[in-house]
Amino acid sequence: MFRASGLTSLSIAGLLLAAASGCSDFQSSFAPSKRTLALIPEAQTGQQGAPGVTPLVDEKFGDPQHLKAWMKLPVEWGGKASSVSAFEAGDQPLIRLTVDEESPLPEKAGRLVFTSGTLAGKSFEITSWDSSAGTAILASAPETAPEAGDSCTVDAGSLLQSGRVLYMRHCSHCHGTAGDGNGPTAQYLYPKPRDYRHGVFKFTSTIDSSRATRDDLLRVLKYGIPGTYMPSFLLMKDEELHALVEYVRFLAMRGEYERKLVNELASDYSSKAVESRLQSESRGDVVKELQEFLGEEMAGIAESAGDELAETWTVSEAEESRVAPSVPRVEDTPESRQRGRDLYLGKALNCANCHGIDGAGNGPQTIAFEKNPETDELYGEAGLHDVWGNLNQPRNLQTGIFRGGRRPIDVFNRIYAGIKGSSMPAFKNTPHEDIWHVVNYVLSLQFESEPGAAGTAPAEAVASAADGSQN
Amino acid sequence: MKKFWAIFFWFWPLVALWLCAVAPANNWWFPSPPLSTLGHQIDGLFYLILIIVAVTFIGTQFALGYALWKGATKGSGDKAWFSHGSHKLEIIWTIVPAFILVFISLTQLDVLAEIRVISHFPKEARKAPAAEVMARQFEWRIRYARPGTELMNEPRPGDLYYVNEVHVPAVQPTMINLRTQDVQHAFFVPRLRVKQDAVPGLIIPVWFEIEQAGEYELLCAELCGWGHYKMKARIIAETPEQVQAYLSRLEQEQNEDGVADEQSSQ
Repeated sequence: MFRASGLTSLSIAGLLLAAASGCSDFQSSFAPSKRTLALIPEAQTGQQGAPGVTPLVDEKFGDPQHLKAWMKLPVEWGGKASSVSAFEAGDQPLIRLTVDEESPLPEKAGRLVFTSGTLAGKSFEITSWDSSAGTAILASAPETAPEAGDSCTVDAGSLLQSGRVLYMRHCSHCHGTAGDGNGPTAQYLYPKPRDYRHGVFKFTSTIDSSRATRDDLLRVLKYGIPGTYMPSFLLMKDEELHALVEYVRFLAMRGEYERKLVNELASDYSSKAVESRLQSESRGDVVKELQEFLGEEMAGIAESAGDELAETWTVSEAEESRVAPSVPRVEDTPESRQRGRDLYLGKALNCANCHGIDGAGNGPQTIAFEKNPETDELYGEAGLHDVWGNLNQPRNLQTGIFRGGRRPIDVFNRIYAGIKGSSMPAFKNTPHEDIWHVVNYVLSLQFESEPGAAGTAPAEAVASAADGSQN
Repeated sequence: MKKFWAIFFWFWPLVALWLCAVAPANNWWFPSPPLSTLGHQIDGLFYLILIIVAVTFIGTQFALGYALWKGATKGSGDKAWFSHGSHKLEIIWTIVPAFILVFISLTQLDVLAEIRVISHFPKEARKAPAAEVMARQFEWRIRYARPGTELMNEPRPGDLYYVNEVHVPAVQPTMINLRTQDVQHAFFVPRLRVKQDAVPGLIIPVWFEIEQAGEYELLCAELCGWGHYKMKARIIAETPEQVQAYLSRLEQEQNEDGVADEQSSQ
């Protein structure tokens, strides 16, 4: 199991984050996803030393009491980087750290993790800490003496851990411990709380191929999502919100990682697939093949899944992933709205196909039956569905409720980059000026006395909207 | 020992008397001094009732102690006597409390009218609501009119929106329109002594004159569902100029098109 090298070895020892011990020894856990549970047990847990999905995920992310930091991932774990200036062995092994007056060490520090040198990746409990002198007495003696210049992190993982505590208090009752959107209150809510494990968040300022940025998540936390049960957490302190955003990103990446691993196994080793394979093979052979696959290929797959994750989430924060209108908003005139309405009904955008000709969210697509891409069967109910498998009602644009925000740039983002995970596609090839016309029209819809009747809709446009039902 | 009980029951009214006398000065009844004009009147009513209750409590306790004392000091030869009630006494202790209750209800009428009846609101507050506060499970959604326009009951183009933070002018009578999108909530600002239920389907005007600029906690005071405890917001009282500046900042933010922003930051 311990064959990874370099940076990943950091994750293996992990940054052990001891959870604050409560008065009972209740242990929470990250529940495996439904897709993981659909695999045969050997693929979930592993076979003869070759780890399956669950141990692989736990190895990198830990459990809620002992979170692990996979340093490869672009998550702010918290803590302060420093370096060793001297080490005194003995009953009370003492480490002197370099003290930089411009960026002082944290006042409290529970753990010290080495990030380079012979002890890289090892984590130690601090029993006594003096932030001004930069001295730490470790609870246990390191196997080898750290050398001066070795870099380390004190109070490692503090941000993530405080995020976890806040998350469990304010978020988990809807979004679930693992961010699976299935907390105890979830069953009473419509729409359903977000399941982070796809790594997908709906309302972002990024282009359609990118993930949400930290600012996007922060915006949702601060202002809530009107029209849903997601309330505003505006009154929380900035550092609390910051910790929450990081923890939510951590959970999203954890879920996405699990998904990626399951994707590799689902086609051959799901209970269903194995059942049909048993007609021509023996179960022993299937398990043996699985064991070989897990032993030989899985480590590489897991490694590249981590790389991919790091890459996507890092790129999403970059400036080039931001939606940037090339022209400012077109002035909101009746002509602009009319042009917006023409585009709304027109063949290229065909908004009316889902949102309806009067914007009431009742277009022809809402009565068509869709196929579930995961099971390849028709959904039980008519209408559009999102990647979470929930019914995805096109927004009624007459209500004046804009879940992703009511600023023109928000509506622009929704049209240009679509709504991730939902059936709202990205219209990235539409000229930006045209999008602004549609924005003006959409923002004006709630004030129309007779929505849809404004001006005269071109007959051809109405016909094309109706055609959409046969798509 | 017999006298002990008489002294015991005389002792407590003395404690009560002392408590009632020192409590107001030490702010033991209320979380803070009232910080709105109405708050003073409401606190005044509380203190009036406090005095009435204190006098009644002390009076009845002394009467009880007196009865016990008399019993305790009676000679052993005295016989007990039976009473079938006193018509006179019944009339007295019915009419006296009735007068007290009528007195209280008449005294508070003016204040109640000032809190609840819009025609009794100060003219300045009545002119136009400063904001619409829409309660919903589980947050407060705020709507302002665009600077220079008046707030209507129906949203207008250009209206400004925010959540969980209301900016209102201090030191001037201010009215807000209270509504709810779903169930019953209550608009409760303890330091201003303002508490008003939000009822589905109604637009309820609420006014206050905040005496000091600053931040005030707004809570929901009607159990509205599982997230009731989350329904916390803040009211920020500042000068009218600051409110105007805030609103134009909000307007600018709300018309954000992602382009102007970049130019200004470059």
